[in-house]
Amino acid sequence: MTPFVHKLVWFSLAGIAIAQTPAPPTLTVAGDIAAPLTLKAEDLARMPRETVSVPDQDGNKVEYEGVPVREILTRAGAPLGKQLRGKALATYVLAKAHDGYQVLFALAEFDAEFGNEQIVVADKRDGKPLFGYQGPFRLVCPNDKAGARSVRMLETLELVRLQK
Amino acid sequence: MLGMKSLGTWLLCALLLFAALHRRAVSAESNQNAEYQWNLPKGFPKPFVPADNPITAAKVELGRYLFYDTRMSVNGKASCATCHKQELAFTDGLASAQGATGELHPRGAMSLVNVAYSAALTWSNPELRRLEKQALAPMFGDHPIELGLRDNDGFLPTLRSDAKYRALFERAFPDDADRFTIANVTKALASFERSIISARSPYDRYHYDRDDSAISDSAKRGEILFFNQHLSCFRCHAGFDFSDATISERNPDRQIEFHNTGLYNVPGLLSYPAPNVGIYEYTKAPGDVGKFKAPSLRNIAVTAPYMHDGSIATLEGVLDHYSAGGRNGHDNPNKDPLIAGFVLSRQDRDDLIAFLQSLTDEPVLHDPRFASPWPRPRE
Repeated sequence: MTPFVHKLVWFSLAGIAIAQTPAPPTLTVAGDIAAPLTLKAEDLARMPRETVSVPDQDGNKVEYEGVPVREILTRAGAPLGKQLRGKALATYVLAKAHDGYQVLFALAEFDAEFGNEQIVVADKRDGKPLFGYQGPFRLVCPNDKAGARSVRMLETLELVRLQK
Repeated sequence: MLGMKSLGTWLLCALLLFAALHRRAVSAESNQNAEYQWNLPKGFPKPFVPADNPITAAKVELGRYLFYDTRMSVNGKASCATCHKQELAFTDGLASAQGATGELHPRGAMSLVNVAYSAALTWSNPELRRLEKQALAPMFGDHPIELGLRDNDGFLPTLRSDAKYRALFERAFPDDADRFTIANVTKALASFERSIISARSPYDRYHYDRDDSAISDSAKRGEILFFNQHLSCFRCHAGFDFSDATISERNPDRQIEFHNTGLYNVPGLLSYPAPNVGIYEYTKAPGDVGKFKAPSLRNIAVTAPYMHDGSIATLEGVLDHYSAGGRNGHDNPNKDPLIAGFVLSRQDRDDLIAFLQSLTDEPVLHDPRFASPWPRPRE
């Protein structure tokens, strides 16, 4: 065994693990926010829902169903609507995935008077619950040309206010 | 008079029978040339087919005969199937493919399964994008000799003299004044190759048909690892065909990326051992040394040995290569930043390999539609 491979084995035995388990069946909304939330699938099922249609890489239409991020953030007390002004405009949302992947959105992207993006936290694809490496929750950003912000295995939405 | 009447009735019946048979024959022929039925399941787009070679069942059938015919080689010893064996997902199990005359190819034979979806053909030629053109390389290429055919070497007259081929060419190219041309041979071969679709491996049944029992729990964990950001396997082996060089009817002009995975970093001007220097061979851009296509991972468990030169014998070895952030080319200046290395536990390795094995589509490896049509093997 080469020293390098030996080192790899040692590290492996030491238990440095890469997430290989399905993402937990909850979505956490946390950070600089009035009412942090932990949402389960049944909570999302009871909230106002939308269906967005996006093409996959080969142009096939795929329908995702879920709850608009705007709705979830409003419920958690994020400064949206009339509150989204002044210092609140320097607020961003960090979306974190189960495998450590992170992407960022300005809060104003979700607001009806600013970006008005129809970004949803999806839990169904073509009518069936998301599973495996996609689920149970993922973001879908219908107006993004690239897919990199449509985070799979979404675990957390964290609000960060840069000016308090 | 009675005799005449009965003769007339007989003639009328014969005429009607002839018309019925003729209509049936015409109908069979038009079916052969009707729009090809891909029968693709969910998740698989219609492949791109060039406008100058619409696919028909008759062309596919002719291509299958040609593909398995050793008369397509200089000495009758090799056919396309010599290096593309169905049971090995149309590869040959060798690090370097061997031509009809024994000459070794510098690289391994690539799988032909789902080749219809390939944006670029071969390991490292960014310009070679059509199967019709690619077929000319093994047929007539000198460096290396694969099938070793030559212009005017009697190959086309041999086909013309065979009654079976006369019927097959007539059905495949009914409107051509001269059907026995190299262009038609390559059109038929390309059509057969495009027909070899793998779309329902156990993984597809799990992923697209939502059959939880189709793959093991280990393979399910392996899928999550495969799509994990730290490993980033999915970034190059992406989409329904597990390759980032995939095209389809709706997306025919995809930009192709080639990748240096840090296999080598040899001293000298070129960091990869000649002649396998990647797309640099064509672009002459120093940054392209060592860049090769990311092939589809479908049926990967039966296509060893791995990498362009077959220099890794097993899937375990491939995981060693990527987890180390590159083999001998860890510090290759052209190495893709995604090849950064990662740590896998024994369980992770087993899970990833179980996932890769779930991409083996056993029916395709034995489907009679893709097997030799000849009564006795011609390969």
